[in-house]
Amino acid sequence: MHVSKIIEVQDYTWKYINTSVPALAEINLTIEEGSFVGVIGPNGAGKTTLAFSIDGLVPGQYNGVKKGSVKVFGKEVEDYDKGELQQLVGVVFSDPEAQFTAMTVEDELVFGMENIGLSLAEIKERLEWVTELTELSNLLMKPPYEISGGQKQRVALAAVLAMRPKILILDEPTSMLDPVSRGRIFKVLAKLKEEENNTIIVIEHSLENLVPLADQMILMSESKLVLHDKTQPFFQQSKMLLEKGAFPPGAMLFFHLLHERGLYQGEYPLTVAGGAELLRDLMGK
Amino acid sequence: MNKTLLGYVPNESPIYAVHPFVKLYFLLVVSLFPMFVSAPDWNIILMVVIILLMWISKVNMSTLKIYIPVAISMGTIIFLSYTVLGGTHPEFELLARIWGINFYWERIRDALVVYFRVLPMIFTMVFFLSTSRERDIIVAMRSIKVPFVVTYIFAMALRSAGMVLEDFGIVRQAEKARGFDPAGKSIAYKIRQYVMYMVPLFALSLRRSEEFTNALVARGYAFTGKVSRVKRADYILTHYSYKYFDYIFIALITIAFIALLVYRYGYGYFQVDQSWLLRLLRSWVS
Amino acid sequence: MAEETKKELTAEEIWTTEEGERRSVGVIHIVITALLIGIGFVVGAFGSISFPLGFGVNFFWTGIVVQQVGAIWFGGWGVIAGAIFPFFSNAIAGTPFYVSLAYIPANAVQAFLPAWVFRRFKLDPRLKTGKDYLYLFLTMIVSSILGALWSVLVVLKGFGLLTTDSVPLFIWGWFGGNVVAGVVFNFILLKALSAVVIRTTAFVKKWWA
Repeated sequence: MHVSKIIEVQDYTWKYINTSVPALAEINLTIEEGSFVGVIGPNGAGKTTLAFSIDGLVPGQYNGVKKGSVKVFGKEVEDYDKGELQQLVGVVFSDPEAQFTAMTVEDELVFGMENIGLSLAEIKERLEWVTELTELSNLLMKPPYEISGGQKQRVALAAVLAMRPKILILDEPTSMLDPVSRGRIFKVLAKLKEEENNTIIVIEHSLENLVPLADQMILMSESKLVLHDKTQPFFQQSKMLLEKGAFPPGAMLFFHLLHERGLYQGEYPLTVAGGAELLRDLMGK
Repeated sequence: MNKTLLGYVPNESPIYAVHPFVKLYFLLVVSLFPMFVSAPDWNIILMVVIILLMWISKVNMSTLKIYIPVAISMGTIIFLSYTVLGGTHPEFELLARIWGINFYWERIRDALVVYFRVLPMIFTMVFFLSTSRERDIIVAMRSIKVPFVVTYIFAMALRSAGMVLEDFGIVRQAEKARGFDPAGKSIAYKIRQYVMYMVPLFALSLRRSEEFTNALVARGYAFTGKVSRVKRADYILTHYSYKYFDYIFIALITIAFIALLVYRYGYGYFQVDQSWLLRLLRSWVS
Repeated sequence: MAEETKKELTAEEIWTTEEGERRSVGVIHIVITALLIGIGFVVGAFGSISFPLGFGVNFFWTGIVVQQVGAIWFGGWGVIAGAIFPFFSNAIAGTPFYVSLAYIPANAVQAFLPAWVFRRFKLDPRLKTGKDYLYLFLTMIVSSILGALWSVLVVLKGFGLLTTDSVPLFIWGWFGGNVVAGVVFNFILLKALSAVVIRTTAFVKKWWA
């Protein structure tokens, strides 16, 4: 199967105007079509700026100094016409409230589709698809700012999904949500991974839900891309992750501590269920 | 009853079956009626009609009490303007002289004429605000082909007004938590309070402008360039269609306005001297 | 890197574009216009409801700050917002539709004049010198006089709502309501936030970008 590189970042450095340190420094990154990528790292590591750079918000909406190149579908982000790149790359921000500009959930969902010039029939079809996927059908006539936090984030996600971007970036989509609402967001992402061929990049602090879905992980720290690997080998380097202020999920951390004490030598489990199974096997031996 | 940023609207109402444009048309045209009518009788009839329409529309009349102080203060101002500040006019009929202030019949009559012109204009505005949800106003604007960018600014402005009110609550809580309580304090203290609110309110809104912009750009919105020239489908409008009664209402409003102009300028109707109400009052005060 | 260190801008530099600097109208300006209308709607309605003199004329009209500071920072977008938002804030405070509509020129002038003076005389919105304060104060006076004259003589008299003898009261009401609120808020807001605003992409150096 031919897998194309749809995001290519080369020697990329970005410094916002009036700041002394670059937000991103010498980033090199390649992401293939259909990947599910998790991005972790402490606050201020440059994760959001990386997301904005892929969506063209940087440098489009911000002043600063750019070095290197960021290509999406083989074309430099600045070379896209206004609004053109955003049809290919969709971003869901961490604060859903700050994304709502319409009076009803339905208006919010159709806004992006109208922007890209879809016909009424197509808008209707996509609206049905996306509201079913995100379980929002009964909220269409409500004001988006009067619904619960979890529902708001699903509206924000649905508004972007309705535009059917090839690349979907979620910037800490569950940072303001309770565990149940978090689970529902990741349920939608799991469906997308299963049924669509989207490339999905999720920036997230809470890893329990992310790790089982991610094919590969990226660690950002102090404006640099420190580690990029497939999920399993990525978390085998838990020592480095901990040093850089990124905390692996509990099950992994447990096995990492066993490893540190010389009690376990194998691969770390990615989920609690996997960890329980592994532990049962170990205890049975 | 639902709260909108512009007032309270009923949950269910027969007026929601009417196309939003008809309500906008009513506001724009019927607001003009009192300008051509001097006799208060007709303006009072118009007010009664509007109240009836509100009643039919299931508007919760108790929510309208916020406009009572407005009506009273406006009436007082007009009355003072035409009496205390009305000047000396020997040619007018003096009804009374109290504390050196002359109360002329002509001045009181004019004050009534003006007041009963303003009131129905306010009534039409209140009727519109208490029967139109925010979305209705946007639909009404779009249905008369107001450019998308204008209707969008309007929608976003309403949204940001809501956010400012929320922020205002948050800032006030924060100020109170730091021991800043305006209750029972002087005007100077209260003004200081608003200064303290205004700066963070502006700062929060400015920060929001960046987030809003990113959200719009990320969803493909541009108002210049190739993308901005894409023909937009207007999905919201598909929920609204003109029914036969919408055309009837538009026709009735138009005919009423034309009739008003014809009778006013063709036959000299609606003049002050034709008002039985003023004649009654005149005989009463003399 | 030397060229990247933050340097203090002079008043002249605030209003002039550097060689090769490209400024264009963007979505952010549309957003700013909407936000200013939203803020003005709330603070303007507060003034109209709390200190009414009648027909949208107030003893202490807080909306003036959004009109004037908004237009100083955001040029034409601030003027547009400053002209439009009183229409809405007056409407919910019970001012008739066409009276509110007829106030638009007065409100536009009140927003436009300070914006023009700051650009024409290269004044510092951070209010660094006595000249900045003086010019702002004078502009507030002049713009409020023009606004008061238009609204009272043209609108209120035109609609037949006032007698000739009560015109001075309303002129003073409009003028005083604007200037007092302006003196309280304009200086503080410009002083507190201009340093940040002039470095944002939303700030407008010319009239539209």
